[in-house]
Amino acid sequence: MTALSESPAVYAAPVPDARRVRTLQTLGIMCGLTAGAWLGAAEAPTKLVTAGLSPVLISLVMVIGVFIARWTLPTLIHGTAYVAADLRQAPHLIVWAILAGCMWAVANTLTVYAVRDVGLSIAFPLWNSNSLLGILWGVLFFDELRGAGARRLAGVLGGALLMFVGAVILTLASAAHSAGANATRGVAAALAAGALWGTMYIPYRKAYLTGMNPLSFITFFTVGELGMMLVLALTSTGSAGALWGELSGARHLLFWIMAGGVVWVIGDLFQQYAVKYAGITRGIPLSNSNQLWGLLWGVFVFGELRGAGGGVLAKVVAGSLTMASGTALIALSSANEREHERWRAAAKREGDRYGIDAGYTTARGAGEEAPAFAARRTPLDWVIVIAATAILVGFAAIAQRPSIAIHGGWAVALVVATLGVLAACGVGLWRITRFR
Amino acid sequence: MDEGSVTAPRRATLASLILRDVQFWVPVVVLVLGLLALRWVA
Repeated sequence: MTALSESPAVYAAPVPDARRVRTLQTLGIMCGLTAGAWLGAAEAPTKLVTAGLSPVLISLVMVIGVFIARWTLPTLIHGTAYVAADLRQAPHLIVWAILAGCMWAVANTLTVYAVRDVGLSIAFPLWNSNSLLGILWGVLFFDELRGAGARRLAGVLGGALLMFVGAVILTLASAAHSAGANATRGVAAALAAGALWGTMYIPYRKAYLTGMNPLSFITFFTVGELGMMLVLALTSTGSAGALWGELSGARHLLFWIMAGGVVWVIGDLFQQYAVKYAGITRGIPLSNSNQLWGLLWGVFVFGELRGAGGGVLAKVVAGSLTMASGTALIALSSANEREHERWRAAAKREGDRYGIDAGYTTARGAGEEAPAFAARRTPLDWVIVIAATAILVGFAAIAQRPSIAIHGGWAVALVVATLGVLAACGVGLWRITRFR
Repeated sequence: MDEGSVTAPRRATLASLILRDVQFWVPVVVLVLGLLALRWVA
């Protein structure tokens, strides 16, 4: 019995009307903000147990959590048959998905060294400069901001710069709290991570202009992540036996790091949809509002900056407001019809180059589905979801309760807010695009 | 013409398209530089 109905017929999907374009743009912006909330929250679980663990081990376990989590809820949205059919439409994108995953893994490992050497408060804004580089690639390769008009151009570029300035102010506020025996290496690591992440958005945008579903893209993205992290971990420890020994020795703590990966993959999914529907130039800076959420977790839940003087708190407020202003500017600068035409032209170039069905590209760009593209969920999908969930539950069962002090009330409030944002945006994404 | 002889040239064409795509080489170069940076800081 086949679970997939697919015909080679070309489907000529209509170009979306202006109202649909605006709806998708707004959806992309909401996805970017939701991504910010979840990517910010992803750092919280890892803070609980990082003491004494090597940066590479932390990064590896987080990636394992990401890989496993990808096969839980996302598989229930679109199953393996759907992903297989999607990949058959544009098989060349597997290369870019794996490449992006490899880049993410190296960047994530660099950030752990950066945090070790200069502290989170300095490293975070430095690696968040990735949005500025992402904007450059979006303009150069994918015609983003072309035909946008002066107001939108000022909004996006001005907003991104404001976010960067806000990040620097937050850095100055926290400088006294940074660890930092090796500041030069730490700064270099953070900047290198920013360059890797900023360039990683090229594969994202390429895939979504072509028409690939983000859920399909992250399937091979997580393969690239896991593969690269295994290579780095084996190189670092020297042998599979040594790596196994380190993992076994830390097994009571692994769940918390994997939990960070689970939270991260949800944030990343929304970031992917933000890039798809709002472009790199809006989607990525908005998802970099993760720094604000990270600040909320750090200050209110983990008590960072406790006992800080008035000057420090003033900088925190100023930096946060500056960053929030930049976010708002970008959110209000969505692409107009002229810019969207340029995006469609860029999508056509990609499709023509690689022989992709134009109907597939157009339909997916509008958040629609080509009618021949129908994939049913199979029993295998349920087996995968149950197995992946069981692995996470198993690690949770042997997890040691972390000894770090947290403010429970604020933790609950932030969890509720983060889940609320997920629910609102998730419902919107389902209603408007069925997660296409 | 059998499918094997159609598939092989298509794969070769796809590979050559990818290798001639600057959007492939920019991430590859940045990845290599990132690995070198990681080697230095680690």
